[in-house]
Amino acid sequence: MKLVAVSLLLAISLAGGADGHRLDEYLQATLIGVTRDGVDLEINLTPGIAVLPAVMAEIDRNRDGRISPEEEQAYSTEVIRDLGMQVDGKVVPLRLIGSRFPSVEDMREGLGTIRLNLRTGSSGHELRFENRHMQKVSVYLVNCLASGDSGLLAGNPVRDEAQRSIRFTYSYAGSSGWPAQETFWIAGIGMVTIARLALRRQTGRG
Amino acid sequence: MRKIAFLAALVTCGLVHAQSPTGVPAAIVASVNSFLNSLDEGQRTRVLFDFNDAAQRVRWSNLPTAMVARAGLKMGELSETQRSAAMGLLAVTLSKSGYEKVLAIMEGDEMLKAEDGGRGGPPGPGGRGGRGGAPNSEMFGHDLYYISILGKPSVKDPWMLQFGGHHLALNITMVGRQGILTPSLTAAQPAKYTVAGKTVRPLGAENDKAFALVNALDDSQRKQAILNYKVADLVLGPGEDGKTIQPEGLKGSAMNARQQAMMMDLIGEWAGIVNEQSATGRMAEIKSNLADTWLAWSGPTTNGSAAYYRTQGPTLVIEYAPQSMGGDPTMHIHTIYRDPTNDYGKKSAAR
Repeated sequence: MKLVAVSLLLAISLAGGADGHRLDEYLQATLIGVTRDGVDLEINLTPGIAVLPAVMAEIDRNRDGRISPEEEQAYSTEVIRDLGMQVDGKVVPLRLIGSRFPSVEDMREGLGTIRLNLRTGSSGHELRFENRHMQKVSVYLVNCLASGDSGLLAGNPVRDEAQRSIRFTYSYAGSSGWPAQETFWIAGIGMVTIARLALRRQTGRG
Repeated sequence: MRKIAFLAALVTCGLVHAQSPTGVPAAIVASVNSFLNSLDEGQRTRVLFDFNDAAQRVRWSNLPTAMVARAGLKMGELSETQRSAAMGLLAVTLSKSGYEKVLAIMEGDEMLKAEDGGRGGPPGPGGRGGRGGAPNSEMFGHDLYYISILGKPSVKDPWMLQFGGHHLALNITMVGRQGILTPSLTAAQPAKYTVAGKTVRPLGAENDKAFALVNALDDSQRKQAILNYKVADLVLGPGEDGKTIQPEGLKGSAMNARQQAMMMDLIGEWAGIVNEQSATGRMAEIKSNLADTWLAWSGPTTNGSAAYYRTQGPTLVIEYAPQSMGGDPTMHIHTIYRDPTNDYGKKSAAR
């Protein structure tokens, strides 16, 4: 164990980041894609070489130095458990759509990125997302994707200083974003007004 | 000897760019053909790819080539004549300042190679030596930049020139008179060094112009431009093709004419890497969208500090991200330059 720690310290001091390895941080970058019928999350997790032992301790449960499909599934579940998402104030479940784990060798080089694709079928007008996974060793990025064709209008994003969390409102061009009940009443008032105008015109002609 | 070669390349760059701008596409095609004719059959096979080779198109990175393999021909395996032809092609395709920037980035990488005095990096995983304990000579330096050509070079039909390695990825799609430089990555480490008594800052203008712009904003504008959160890295770096994030910060329409001019000047540090003829059209396009182009800033506003910034418009994404990887982040910069509507010249080639 001591040997591992000494090797890591040596590696960090010699590397000095010159070759672009991530070193003592676990970069967790999330892109949020809002659609009319749900929300997609793409989470890229890149452990630096100095924090890899801590990350591997979470992934490689049987300590055999390899990542089995079961360990991939278990770790993905653990990450999802550390995420929080609310749509219009309601907690919504996140489902794992896909995952891609790098080789342990790539991760030892500080190059490996774990990619998780998650989704919820809930959509609305305000979204809150929070990532609490391995906070002590992590740095975070979180952004909302712009989708050119769908007319998504996302506004007023608010993040905490570390980008662990984000909250924003959204709507679609051409849709008011108002609740259906209000839309119904407005449509009703419109129809009554048109009917009255038509009646007045008829009366005038007579 | 190395320093002399670097300075000689700068002089050559000046000579190459003395030609008429109207003949640029033809000069580029003549130059690429001259390079291809200097190669033997085996080399030609390795440097040429199909224009629609999707795997080769995205085979670029900020990382050293020992970590993320590139394809094409490596500078270090070319003869002096072939290498000179390759660099000549680059010189005629880029602007003078763009070519100088490329040389300065490559020279910085040569500095990294020299750092361990040729002793070779430490063995084993995780060390600077990288995979398999490669020494610095296998990780860094002029010799480890790759050139590749996608499609048949032509003044009419689209084709593409790629040049890159550690901290550099130029993807230049030629469509007629247009040279589309997106997506491209420029980076620098060290971000400041000395060659033959001259201080070189490969991305110095990108740094200084940005700090000048953010300091030209008034308090209310700065409040909008400066994000209240840290940005640890590029959001749309390598591997993030085809994505666009919601813009944030201060909109160009909320800037005065002087500030807008400063922002255009800053953007020109990327858009102006390609030859002047192509850059002029690209700058005009960006200017036409300037009101909808945003500036977002994260970090201190005193020049010399490590600060991230992003300029983003309908056809533009630029990110500048100092890297916290164990050293001084101001000495290790990554940047990305994209056009979400026309990366790899997709829109132009489809016309």
